[in-house]
Amino acid sequence: MNESSNTATRNSRDKILNTVHGNQPAPRELPPLPEGTPVAPGDLAPTFITALEAIGATAYIVSGFDRIATMLHEQFPGARRIVTGCPQLNAFAEAAAAAKGLDPHLLENVELGILPAHFGVAENGACWITETQMVERALPFIAQRLVLVIPHSSIVPNMHAAYDRIAALEAEAPANTYGFSTFIAGPSKTADIEQSLVLGAHGPISLTVFLLDEGLSDAGFY
Amino acid sequence: MSGSNHKDHAALAAEFNKDEPRVDWHDETLWWVRQKRDKAAARVPEWELLRDTASRIKDNVLSNLSGYLRQFEEEATRNGITVHWAADANEHNEIVLSILSRHKIDKMVKSKSMLTEECHLNEFLHEKGIDVVDTDLGERVVQLAGEPPSHIVLPCIHLKKQEIGEIFHEHLGTPKGNADPQFLTHAARLHLREKFLTRRVALTGVNFAVAETGEFVVCTNEGNADMGAHLADVHIASMGIEKLIPQRRHLGVFLRLLTRSATGQPITTYSSHFRRPRQGQEMHIVLVDNGRSVHLGRKDFRNSLKCIRCAACFNTCPVYRRSGGHSYHTAVAGPIGSILSPNLDMKKYADLPFASTLCGSCSNVCPVKIDIHEQLYKWRQVIVQEGYAAAGKTAVMKTMNWVLSHPGVYHTAGKTGRWFMLNAPFTVKNGFNTWYRQRDMPTPPKQSFGDWYKKNKK
Repeated sequence: MNESSNTATRNSRDKILNTVHGNQPAPRELPPLPEGTPVAPGDLAPTFITALEAIGATAYIVSGFDRIATMLHEQFPGARRIVTGCPQLNAFAEAAAAAKGLDPHLLENVELGILPAHFGVAENGACWITETQMVERALPFIAQRLVLVIPHSSIVPNMHAAYDRIAALEAEAPANTYGFSTFIAGPSKTADIEQSLVLGAHGPISLTVFLLDEGLSDAGFY
Repeated sequence: MSGSNHKDHAALAAEFNKDEPRVDWHDETLWWVRQKRDKAAARVPEWELLRDTASRIKDNVLSNLSGYLRQFEEEATRNGITVHWAADANEHNEIVLSILSRHKIDKMVKSKSMLTEECHLNEFLHEKGIDVVDTDLGERVVQLAGEPPSHIVLPCIHLKKQEIGEIFHEHLGTPKGNADPQFLTHAARLHLREKFLTRRVALTGVNFAVAETGEFVVCTNEGNADMGAHLADVHIASMGIEKLIPQRRHLGVFLRLLTRSATGQPITTYSSHFRRPRQGQEMHIVLVDNGRSVHLGRKDFRNSLKCIRCAACFNTCPVYRRSGGHSYHTAVAGPIGSILSPNLDMKKYADLPFASTLCGSCSNVCPVKIDIHEQLYKWRQVIVQEGYAAAGKTAVMKTMNWVLSHPGVYHTAGKTGRWFMLNAPFTVKNGFNTWYRQRDMPTPPKQSFGDWYKKNKK
């Protein structure tokens, strides 16, 4: 298992580190990091939604999980296997508890994955999701279609703010210290064939993001 | 030819240029990508500050690379990742093979990694009886076609959809004549899903590795790196030692720059942060030197180690767009490849720094502000001094030097040249004049500036 103590690689390690050390230039200070121009003053949700739509995803602002369940029933009527990491949707789907710890290969036939994410990034439509929210690391990638749920108030303006937020999340709760995590921005896609954009390369062919605002009235949405 | 037994850039570019409509198509496609980059960059008011910051973070990385490597090794090991060190391509390949052998595995999936192209891992493993499936769509296409990628971000940009349809018909059994990108992508999705589900080892590249936390980040649009890594029992990540950044928050700067520079997207679909192996999974990182530590010692050229492999310099380069990636005969083509490759083998790649107009467009778009065109110019001088320049080029330069340093000779030569161009144009307008091949010769003036000045001085 531990090949780093293997002699050949140990010799190479020392050789590389010595050459690097001998050849690296005089110390240079790290620059201050930019904060970035705020993408829009006030509510960041419209900018986030515009960014999401530009990368082929759909977004809705909703009042609660009941509303999400209703909309998912309407939008994915034929979905046979649905797995969720949101306990509020357990009645609607296979709960995380049942799928957790499964051989990830058994998730191959999941048609719809519904997962909570920590926050969204207004400048690019990305959502930050950590391992504990994914049920299994493979799920956000192997599901045919993916739904993410984030708090409406969670959107940060840009990637600088995003990494500040990630550090704050880890400081808040050790459970947020991930072994794996990812930014997801839209459905999986490729333009490798003559630069023609095709949604659904290897991962989900669609992404829907719900922005949850529990203070919202249902009136006016339907 | 530059003295070695392969065809040089000019010869390979001449082959590519035989099909003019294809050259135009290639040129326009890449220019379109460059324009998307421009639009994306213009939407970020602090774009230039970001470039400057990224460049300065990389200055810091290069000045303390040995310290960051040690820190990264310590943190990654603490996270349960096995760290390996490879001095060169062969050691890298042997390490990968030893991991496969220990698990008695002879099949694996691989997501995009230019480092493994540089190390010729696929060929090495193939000889040892290991089956490697490239899972990035563009890379799978060129793998099935038996070619190397021609572009580091868009591996099969040189192929037309009809050709890809033909390759898929032959290897994946899609209907002959179907060249619809949507259809072909779906066929590849089904074909590769089976590979993801049945392979127990996945190899990925690394976009960034964070010294502070021992994690590494892999960016893809397709999700192929994640599909491979999360379904495999063993995840191997191969990275060049220059991929380190000091702190996680520095990712904010680089992720804002990378995809906007590459394709004009605000970010890749997936920016995955790997910090610890999945329960029951093995995770390995192979840190590869392969000439980088020596390159670091070359004062004039070390900045090229800042490269984040966005390929913006490819898309903007008038030479790359019109000569195609394969004309560079190296894993990383384009302007950046032309300053990285001579470090690996100055003789073999002596032609590449000359495959440029020195227009400087590459340096203008580089997200980490590498002085690419200046390094191309400096490499030319080093290559000539070291005696690796093509013999013809050296002879012409020596003749020019003699002519230009003798005013009398210069005057006579100019006069003679003008006479021939006016009275015997075939002597310059022929296939022996390499300048004339892609250009019209100008109509020469009747008299030189010197003669005109003498006559009109009063």
